[in-house]
Order: sequence, then structure tokens, then C-alpha cells
Amino acid sequence: MTDAPLTFGLFSKGRLKEQAEEWLGDCGLDLEAGGGERGYLAEIKALPDVRVLLLSAGDIAAGLDTGELHLGVSGEDLLRERGEAVEAHVMLLRALGFGRADLVVATPASWIDVETMADLEEVAAAFVARTGRRMRVATKYLVQTRAFFASHGVVDYRIVESSGATEGAPAAGQAELIVDITTTGATLKANGLKVLKDGLILRSQAQLCASLIARWTPKQLASARRLMSIVEARARARRTALVSWPAEQDKAALAATEAFLARGATRRAQGLLAEADSLFEVTAALAQASVGPVSVVRPDFAFEPRSAAGDRLAARLGERR
Amino acid sequence: MRLEPPVPADVLAAIRAPFAALAAPFTDAPVMLPLGLMLDLAGETMRGRLFLVQGDGEDACLRPDFTIPIARVHIDRGAGDGRYLYEGKAFRVAPRGSGRAEEFLQIGLEAYGGGRGPEADAEVAGLAWRAAAAGGRDDLSMILGDISLFSAFIDAIGLAPALAARLKRAFVRPGALAGELTRAQAAEPPVRQGDRLAELLAGLPEAEATAVLQDLWSIAGIQPVGGRSAAEIAHRLVQRGEAARAPRLDPAQARLIRDFIDLSGPPRAVLDRIAELASSGRLELDAELAAWTARLDAIVANGAPEGRLVFQANFGRAFSYYDGFLFEVRSAALDDEAPVAGGGRYDLLPAHLGGAARGAVGCAVRPCRAWADAGTPS
Repeated sequence: MTDAPLTFGLFSKGRLKEQAEEWLGDCGLDLEAGGGERGYLAEIKALPDVRVLLLSAGDIAAGLDTGELHLGVSGEDLLRERGEAVEAHVMLLRALGFGRADLVVATPASWIDVETMADLEEVAAAFVARTGRRMRVATKYLVQTRAFFASHGVVDYRIVESSGATEGAPAAGQAELIVDITTTGATLKANGLKVLKDGLILRSQAQLCASLIARWTPKQLASARRLMSIVEARARARRTALVSWPAEQDKAALAATEAFLARGATRRAQGLLAEADSLFEVTAALAQASVGPVSVVRPDFAFEPRSAAGDRLAARLGERR
Repeated sequence: MRLEPPVPADVLAAIRAPFAALAAPFTDAPVMLPLGLMLDLAGETMRGRLFLVQGDGEDACLRPDFTIPIARVHIDRGAGDGRYLYEGKAFRVAPRGSGRAEEFLQIGLEAYGGGRGPEADAEVAGLAWRAAAAGGRDDLSMILGDISLFSAFIDAIGLAPALAARLKRAFVRPGALAGELTRAQAAEPPVRQGDRLAELLAGLPEAEATAVLQDLWSIAGIQPVGGRSAAEIAHRLVQRGEAARAPRLDPAQARLIRDFIDLSGPPRAVLDRIAELASSGRLELDAELAAWTARLDAIVANGAPEGRLVFQANFGRAFSYYDGFLFEVRSAALDDEAPVAGGGRYDLLPAHLGGAARGAVGCAVRPCRAWADAGTPS
């Protein structure tokens, strides 16, 4: 039992799968088909103690929520849909910058009298008073719709669960309005719908998540820390540059760059790891102090001894015991 | 599903006795209801409390109470009037961690066509009290409220229609009214996209306003989909424009409403206080207050001791069909969220179900909560 590998859920198909593989590959963590039964298993060579399971997006969210997975990449929209308790079950470790989608409330564009949720509340009340029926909202996102509508005091509605193309429901007469995800809004527009001004429920993107429900052995936690420190080191490397100067000018160079330490730069031997956006300020300060020659390289990875997300995870798991 | 401990037969018989003494038949009603109907009538907030059942056709749910099942039986019979007793189990998902029973016994009465007078209200309230008290608890009290009294109070102030309607809707939503009062007092609302259009449309006959709106859609390349007609949207734009120009709620009016909803205590004292508020605000409420005095007399005459009655002016419930008088019988030993009995007037429900009736009132008792020796059942 103590040797069981860490389980890591990743998307099994589609654009999200490609993007997740790209992200891992960029971190030097290439995914290799593990051959396992019907190709649902994969391996990361650099992390032998991690077992990758290729799953549908919904199954990853469920696996994190129920503790069948230790780690997973999941859209925040699907995670939130697991219910309010998900906050206590799943921890978001890192936003990954892909799989972006907004969960929004959209009404027919022809409702020019409805711009806000407050308008919707009035119109919904008038609808039930007139027809005795409640306005129907087509959505796959029941939990978030209910919470969002309640927070805006909208009560005179009912949800019609949609399984396919939600945005077509109003035109098909199955619902009056919808709650759905959108990236560019083009599909909504093509279906004669518009997003309410204050109708943004969630700005979702893919997140690296950890389950707080799963059983974690010390070894599995160590594997997770290792994965996270690699991911963080790669992300840090992408926004930093390594500035180096001749050893004999170390003293003058340190004095000249002192101010940048407060702005996130860190010391390196005969050099400084600086935030990329302040790079030329650093080089200018060095030139001012007559330090040179100065060379700059962009690192592949920039490791810190501790992983911030790893520490947060360990702390949350510690509270649990 | 969490069950209740069984109530001993003699206790149950005592609780049932006040109902059984009525000249009304015990009526059976389906355990399952169409989910869509339930959500249409009670709203989406109810969904979390319903046990869903997957059939091979339309989705169904287990009855959360008897009001709708009995109303359907009544309407199917096509009768305008009718009185129905029931005794059976109802099913509700308990809030997480509450430990409450999810499958529980209810005994009750639904009465259609008994008119809208205070006597019909008092009959169900008195009945619920006597049945609840028969369970042996000596710590019961009855909370009284009236959604239509608040509406009458608001109407008497003479606010702009849209504002009055908003306040009435907020009244039945826990915690919503305070925010709505603040909002109603706020400075001028911002000018919005449709406002100039609304001004234009307001000057036109409705048919023309509708035509203008349709032209506008076609110019903007908007394909109208589903739900609401051009006439309806034009109508609301005009209304919205009027509401934006209407005077805000002034501080004296807000004070009056806050004072009203803060009232709670012995019913006659509260009614006196409402009469004072009405006269200070020069509001015409005499008919409503006279009806309440008669209702109180009748409730007491029907067996509920006056010393156990509490009138709470802000008492309204979100997940119910009540639209007028309503009450709950509570035990000091139990959570306020776990009433021993409850009921009220729901005149509009039969019409929404496709029937017609001269008034509808009902009440239900939870025998296991009424049973004094149950410990603290939930």
C-alpha cells in the first residue's frame, strides 16, 4: 500500500488533451502511452512514481472530488459543478492558462429590455404571474446556475437540463434562456442570444488540482511536490532571466541591483535571477555602476528549494488529520 | 432515507382525532408527481429538497407535501368545492448535517371553496393547533403572518407600481427586503440602453410600439427566439421607463415599511401598532385590520389559546404556495426550522393547476414532531 503510485488524471481526448500534453511537454514531462488496457494509462518518464489515467473531463472532476485521483487537470467549471462541498474536497494548485471559457447567463438578444440580472428577476416574476409557469433555463450547470440566480434574488425560474447543444434551446422552444460556457460569444450570437451585463458566473480555465479526500502516503505527497516544483520552476523560468557579471565585480554589482531584490529578483552566484519585465532596468543599473561585461540567458528551469503550492497542499492535508 | 421513529398508536390516534371529527373523507393521493409541474409551481429552489425518480417517461419526484397532490385530485374531479383529509408519508431531502427525517408522516386538511373569509383561516389554524397539542407538548406557540396584509400595506402607501411589486416579491424571500428598501431609496438609477427607446415607445399605442420594436430587431439583425413576444417586451420597456421616472422611496415611507416588518409579539398588540402606523402614514387599512380582529377571535374560539399566539409581521416563506394568511406551530424544544404544524391560504394555486375555486386553505401536522415523548425528533 505504501508503495502505491500517485494517480494523476488527464484529459483523454480533444483539444484539452493536446493542450495538457503541450503544457507537460513544455515542462519536460513528456507523456508516453503506457500501453495499459485500452490505452487509458500513460506514463511520465521523468516521474516514475506517477500513474497517469486518461479520463473524460467529467470523470477527472469526479475523481478529484471523491478521492479516486490524487492530482488532476480539470476545468474549474466542471469542478464547481460538483457542489459547494467541492471547496473542502479539492484544492486548486495552479491555473494553467488554457481551456479558458466563461460560464454566462444568456438571454435572447431580442429581449432589449433585459440587460442585467435585476431585469431578469422582474421579467421572470412577470412571466410566472402571467402564465402560471416559470421561465425555463436550459443548462448543464445546475449547481452554479442555482447558486448564481439565488445570489441575484432570481427565484421564478426552473432549470431544464440540457444534454446537447444548449445554445439552441431557446430557438427550439425548450427554454427561454440559457446558462452555458462560451469562449468568443460567436455561438451565442449565431443563436440569437446575448450575455447579460452582470451575467458572468465564472471565468474558468484548466487548473492543476489536488484531492483532499484521497488517501495520501508520504511518498505520494513527495511525488506531488516533485511534480509541482518542476511545473513551478518552468513557469518561473519563463518569466525570469539570469543576469551574470564578472566575479571580481560582485560587490559593486550587488550594490547596484539591491533595489531589485524587493521586486522579486533573487541572488545567484555572480548574478541575479531577475523578472523578465525589469530585465533592462537591471542591465541599465549595472552599466551605471560600470559593471561589465554582463550577459543574460533565459533559463529552462528556475528551481526554488520549496514549492509554494506543495507547501499549501501539505498544510491542507495536515489540517485534515 | 432517514426515517422517523414510529409514533405509538394511541398518540397518533389523539393527534388524528381533531381531523377525523370533520365531515371530510380521508383521500389518497399519488406518491409521485411530475417533476416539471413541481418546479413550475414551487420554483427551482425546491429542487434540492426533492427526491427525484427516474421513470421511462417524464422525470418525477416524490411528493414533498400533500398540497399539490391533493389539489390535482380535486381538480381532476372537476368540483369547485371540496374538503380533503389526508394521512401519509411525504419525502424531503434534509439539509446536509441536519439529521432530519427525510421520510415523514403528515396528517392534514385541504379545503377548497370555503370562501376567503377569516373563519376559513381560523378553522385550519385551530385544527392544526388542537392536533399538534394532542401530541402532549406543553411548549407550543403559533406564529401568525399574512402576506396579503403586507401587500395591502404597500398598496396603501401608494408607491410606483414597479417599486411596489419589487417590495412585495422581496417580502417572501428571506433577507431580501432590507436590500430592496436600500435600493429603492438610492439616488436616480443610471440611464440605460433601452431608456430613450422606452421614452419613444411610451408615446405610441401598444400595437405601434410593437411594430417599431420588430423593425428595430430586423435592422439590428436580431432573430427573435422563443418565450416573449414583441408586445410583451415593448410593454415592459414602457413600464421600465415609467419606473425610472417615478419618485424614489422617501425616508418616511422606508421608515414606515421597516417599522411594519419589525413588528412581532402578541397579536392584538401588533395589530394596534399596525393601526397606529397606518394612521401616522394616513394609510387606509381598516378593512384588513377588522378582518384580522375577526380572524384572531375565531382562531381562539377554535381552540388555540391567545397567550400562545405570536403575530410576526415579516413572516413569509419562500418555498411555499401561500399567498395570504399563514401560520406555523412551533415547539420551544425544536428548531424553528422544524415546525410541528403549518398551513395557510393559497388561493392562486388551483388556478395555476388549471382549476377554479373560491379560496383554498390547508394545514398539515407532523405527528412525530408533535409527539412529546419522542425525545427531540427531527
